[in-house]
Amino acid sequence: MNPASNSIDPEWAWAPYEPTGAEDWSLAHVAHFHRRAGFGANWQTLQESLPLSPVTLATQAVSQVESAEVESSSQALVTSILAAGGLNQLPAWWIHRLLQGSATLREKMTIFWHGHFATSGAKVRDPQLLLRQNRLLREHALGDFAAMVHEVSKDPAMLMYLDSDSNRKVHPNENFARELMELFTLGEGRYSEQDIRELARCFTGWEVRRNEYRFNPYQHDDGTKRLFDQRGQFGGEQGVDIVLDREDCPRFIAGKLVRYFVADEGLSGEELIEPLAVEFRESGLQIAPLVQRILSSNLFYSEHARARKFRSPIEFAVGFLRTLDGSTNLIGFSNSLKDLGQLLFFPPNVKGWNGGREWINSSTLLARANMMHDLLARSETRFGGGDLQEYCDSQGWADPEEVVDRLSTLLLALPLNSEASTELTQLLESGSGDPEKRLRRALALFVSLPVYQLA
Amino acid sequence: MLSNRREFLQLAAAGAVTLGAQGLAPAFLRAAAREASGQNNVLVVIQMSGGNDGLNTVVPFAEDRYYKARPKLAIAKNDVLKIDKRLGFNPVLRGFADLLEAGHLGIVQGVGYPNPNRSHFESMDIWHTCHRRSEDRNEGWLGRTVDQLQHAERQEIPGVHVGNDRLPLALFSRSHRIPSIQSMDQFHLKAKEEESMQAFRRMASQSTDSEGSMLDFLTTSTVTALDVSQQIQESIKSQSTAVDYPQTGLGRKLRSISQLISADFGTRIFYAEIDGFDTHALQAAAHTGLLRELGEAVSAFVEDLTATGNLDRVTTVCFSEFGRRVAENASEGTDHGTAAPMFLIGGQVQSGLIGKHPSLDDLEQGDLKFHTDFRQVYAGLLQQWLKCDSEKVLGEHFDPVSVIRKA
Repeated sequence: MNPASNSIDPEWAWAPYEPTGAEDWSLAHVAHFHRRAGFGANWQTLQESLPLSPVTLATQAVSQVESAEVESSSQALVTSILAAGGLNQLPAWWIHRLLQGSATLREKMTIFWHGHFATSGAKVRDPQLLLRQNRLLREHALGDFAAMVHEVSKDPAMLMYLDSDSNRKVHPNENFARELMELFTLGEGRYSEQDIRELARCFTGWEVRRNEYRFNPYQHDDGTKRLFDQRGQFGGEQGVDIVLDREDCPRFIAGKLVRYFVADEGLSGEELIEPLAVEFRESGLQIAPLVQRILSSNLFYSEHARARKFRSPIEFAVGFLRTLDGSTNLIGFSNSLKDLGQLLFFPPNVKGWNGGREWINSSTLLARANMMHDLLARSETRFGGGDLQEYCDSQGWADPEEVVDRLSTLLLALPLNSEASTELTQLLESGSGDPEKRLRRALALFVSLPVYQLA
Repeated sequence: MLSNRREFLQLAAAGAVTLGAQGLAPAFLRAAAREASGQNNVLVVIQMSGGNDGLNTVVPFAEDRYYKARPKLAIAKNDVLKIDKRLGFNPVLRGFADLLEAGHLGIVQGVGYPNPNRSHFESMDIWHTCHRRSEDRNEGWLGRTVDQLQHAERQEIPGVHVGNDRLPLALFSRSHRIPSIQSMDQFHLKAKEEESMQAFRRMASQSTDSEGSMLDFLTTSTVTALDVSQQIQESIKSQSTAVDYPQTGLGRKLRSISQLISADFGTRIFYAEIDGFDTHALQAAAHTGLLRELGEAVSAFVEDLTATGNLDRVTTVCFSEFGRRVAENASEGTDHGTAAPMFLIGGQVQSGLIGKHPSLDDLEQGDLKFHTDFRQVYAGLLQQWLKCDSEKVLGEHFDPVSVIRKA
């Protein structure tokens, strides 16, 4: 059913995936869905998802709402974090939602927008402002892209991060205008330097005072601007609308979402994205239908997508715990993600995390292995509330061979090769130390293997 | 202080050392051979990320236009550290001024490229790959250099990126994985049990995938990490330094680089970054802080290289993705610009000013015009220092800038 990799038919690619037999719709397919649309799923969730259709799974995912229970524990955590100063505990606050929450696609999209509209606590050192931006991104994560861009443009944390909290008529600051077009809406090269200068003029008079956006008419340049093919005495809002109206905007966003959800490599060509871009534009830039479409498509379930993502540090770590009902010390767990290269609320620069092969280098690989080594060595790390051995027993995994087999189904996007499978089984059967320690050590090695770094 | 290599040779001569299993000892022997063939030179690249304001780094204090364009940010004539009658260093760059005095610092002026791109990321990619967006950008200029050097003589660790940021695109290579090392003491695997270590190495090396695939990339990267970390842990224990480095990010990175140079794995290329040069607002404090960090760290590095006898075989080059607009903006900062100076540091560099300062009277869209293509500087470093074929690395011929003093 799959066409050759170098010529993907766009019509086929985005048509809904309709499995015809058990081979087309197995635990592996469902696990793939949950790895991509969320952070992986435990055995029970996989079993519950199996009777559902691809379209139903995706439709449910885009309409999830977080439970009141998680919202209230999340709010309680905010209060205690802010009372303690808070900036450096922000990552742990978010990780708590990622581990406990049920609206996993919304969280995954919020991380996407956090990387897209990147703003770092290293510069904006006010945790309240960063949390406010985080709420904004979560609220619009599957909503109206245009509304989100308008709000982000007036978001104090964003304006402070891009040095645009005091934009004067004489010598307008170009930074926000540039990043709005290059990184937030159109993509590099889809505008001229002239457009940047003109758009910067539209934003003159935009300020942040006492942590709130404010328009200062005395600093606004109300002269005529020439932005793309339009002329007028545009203000900032009109400037944003003109940019959002460009055809490059839905293309850029749809392309980036496809890369986020489908594959880091091997997909190319504007033709492939074009049908999605057209739909996205015609829907008035509504995000949920676009994401729903991607997550239920032929392409999403094809060989072009399977194991074609490098796990981000969050997917690597959060995915591990969620898949095995794990729990651990929240602060230690969250902070160790820094060495892996993804500390939430602290993206490396305004472009966010590039992802793909850039997640992987010798330092981050050692950090991944060391994180799992520490995590599994800690007695606070529990699985289903107990020992790992008890957890395996409760799942009915009878012997080392079955343990390795089930872990592979749950955690891996590709089958474990037989040599590694034999090694791991042997480590479980005949390694030294007590069985619980042996099991934990083997699991730490398992998730340090190259193959687990793929999603 | 004796270099590790010399100590080793003395000890070996005294029969006190047996050759290790990790391939470390043969590296010393090969180093001696490299020295004889002139293939011993090391290049250290310091990336100043964000767009360094060249005009407030090397200040054209004799130009009225400079002071007119920058009523708030200009550096007063009396404050600069004079280079000649027209140019002077930012006063916090005392370290650079001293290096210039000692004949160890070159300033390549007016460096840029045609049709300058003012996006950080795009411009940085151009500097890293020497290619525009429309071309293949899977490997960087230093990655291609590593491929060429490795082809001539294989080293265990051909290049090293010191830092915890993503691996710079400049170091991407088709055939070699350049390790990123955040810090020496963290760069090792914590799992200690011998049986699991061996099992892990066996399992991690299994790849049935085709070369270049994602799984193959992960497998070779994992094996590189295991090998390199083990070698470094075994050799770095004996390295200490008599020099006090500043307790700054760049200071720590250059200290690690000096340790790795002394340990001598045959590494020819090192890479470090200092970030924060994107000074759109309230530039003065941020920029002087960064330049001070740069000057102090490089000074300590040179002092250390001098003490270990390595100064003559190490050349350091500093670059940024672009300079900044001549006129300051309303936020007491500067926006993205174009041409800027590059710096060369080492015992054998062409010291002093190289090329003229770009004119402040002849601007393009408010930006300085470049007169030296950065690839001409790369060509000089490749040919005169690393003894590489620059056309192969850069894809076409560029007239090299004389970056190395003629013997």
